[in-house]
Amino acid sequence: MVPLSYSVRNLRVRATTTLATALGVGLVVFVFASVLMLGEGITRTLGRAGSADVAVVLRDGADAEMSSSIELPAAGLIMNAPQVRRRADGRPDAVAESVVVIILDKLGTEGVSNVAVRGVTDDVLAFRPSVRVIAGRAPRPGSDECLLGASIRGRFRGLELGQSFEVKKNRRLTVVGIMADGGSSFESEVWIDRNVLAAAFGRESVVSSVRVRLASSGAFEALRSSLEGDRQLAVDVKRESVWYEEQSQGTSMFIKAIGLLVAVFFSVGAMIGAMITMHAAVASRQREIGTLRALGFSKKSILASFLFESVALSLLGGALGATASLAMGLVRFSIVNFASWSEIVFEFAPTPGILAASLAFAGAMGLFGGMFPAARAARMNVLDALRG
Amino acid sequence: MTTAYREPEKGDPLVRLQRVVKTFHRGSEDLTVLDGLDFEIPTGSFEALMGPSGSGKSTLLNLIAGLDRPTAGKVLVAGNDLGAMNDGQLAAFRARHLGFIFQSYNLMPVLTAAENVELPLLLTRLPSAERKKRALIALRVVGLEDRVNHYPKQLSGGQEQRVAIARAIVNDPTILVADEPTGDLDRKSADAILDLLVRLNTEFKKTIVMVTHDPAAAERASVIRRMNKGVLQ
Repeated sequence: MVPLSYSVRNLRVRATTTLATALGVGLVVFVFASVLMLGEGITRTLGRAGSADVAVVLRDGADAEMSSSIELPAAGLIMNAPQVRRRADGRPDAVAESVVVIILDKLGTEGVSNVAVRGVTDDVLAFRPSVRVIAGRAPRPGSDECLLGASIRGRFRGLELGQSFEVKKNRRLTVVGIMADGGSSFESEVWIDRNVLAAAFGRESVVSSVRVRLASSGAFEALRSSLEGDRQLAVDVKRESVWYEEQSQGTSMFIKAIGLLVAVFFSVGAMIGAMITMHAAVASRQREIGTLRALGFSKKSILASFLFESVALSLLGGALGATASLAMGLVRFSIVNFASWSEIVFEFAPTPGILAASLAFAGAMGLFGGMFPAARAARMNVLDALRG
Repeated sequence: MTTAYREPEKGDPLVRLQRVVKTFHRGSEDLTVLDGLDFEIPTGSFEALMGPSGSGKSTLLNLIAGLDRPTAGKVLVAGNDLGAMNDGQLAAFRARHLGFIFQSYNLMPVLTAAENVELPLLLTRLPSAERKKRALIALRVVGLEDRVNHYPKQLSGGQEQRVAIARAIVNDPTILVADEPTGDLDRKSADAILDLLVRLNTEFKKTIVMVTHDPAAAERASVIRRMNKGVLQ
């Protein structure tokens, strides 16, 4: 085996070429890692909103709250099901909410985008204890006040504490509080009184969804068979955590597919870069290759040595790219969620798995890029190589 | 055919060439460089091969060193028929039996003197500490024990060639082949290298085959063979 120090020091000797090639690989890895981090961010953001002990009930066949409507009497029946936990005051631990999408002017860019508005009841913060009002106060029930998600604060005209916006023509709402929920999708919503929303959008007799906290973890199946078995209700029942996971799949997969496609195209360029670098290395070290072969090193060990060099070069680039991608954790990114057609703000979420996958991707680029030059080095005729 | 390595026995000629022909193809033309060569090199000999350019002396050296195969005839080194070996077997043969000294030293520029000398030992099963110890001994033999951590560019031409000689002897090879070992050196450094080769031959009983243009270098060998147009004169 040719010593590894031979390969590593050769990379150091050609520092400029090594760095240029590594940066090319690093750029691709940066894109690759960022895309995976974004996909992870989407899954986390939507997943965080889901709770395993909560069941969400939608109209049969509806895949999102936007497209679901449940009559208020039916909602009452659902909330009072025996599998639903009761609060201390004896009322069911459940909420029936309406969700609509409004169009608002975006700040900082030309154009408009959708914002999800959730009509909530006054016990919403009790139902979702993870949601905290981090600035201002909670809205007064029945008023034209609203609570704004921290992620979309300042991203749309009027969406700032103390400011107001039109939820419907001639119907203005004032932002009196900012809420946070650990980066969940609720932070990309505006919460208003459900009755105010119902009046503004003509939804007095229906809600979009009902969420109930289960009396016990094992109560879910009983609740589902009971509610889904009732043909008059015509509803679908899912665990909230599962439902949000399904919600995130489309958007997450779309982002990952587009991003990975770009990364793969870029990687062809980076592999060609690595290949050119390694071809140049082989050409300039012909005599060394001939000498190693003359000393008795096998073709396989020459192949392995140059492949190692190429992979080490790419891993250096991969490490640079992966490190740079960590800075994306500071960036917030908004896209339209395909499930709700409203804008949701995501963070890039790095994980050890993503960093490992990025390095593996870099290594693969080095392996494929270095294969032909390494094979050329290994196949070289000893005497021709010695002549340089 | 399988080829088992066999250590040379006392009295064996170390190198034996039998009706060796070497022809190169240059386009549509065939160029015969060695033409039915027969000769032997006994164990412990120090032989110089001289002759004008194109006389076939380097080709002959390459055949003896297992870097090339004859077109016809047999090249037997330490009892092994080199023409019958595949590439892998030849590489293993060179690692075990050959020590190379090149005109341009051919050291790895990114490795230190000690690391360069240790290279052939990486093909053995010796533990790291033993390899380093032997590399130091080889460098001591060539008088460079104070240059172990120097890189080739930090050494003079003569010192580089001495490192190359240390590399050539570190695995205690059966035969040393030297291709114009003093060709790139000034007279003083060349004499020092030739002194070293003579010492390796007389003191360490190494068989040496040296190709040279330099009559003064050839004079230091125990046998001088002259080649012309592919035959020994």
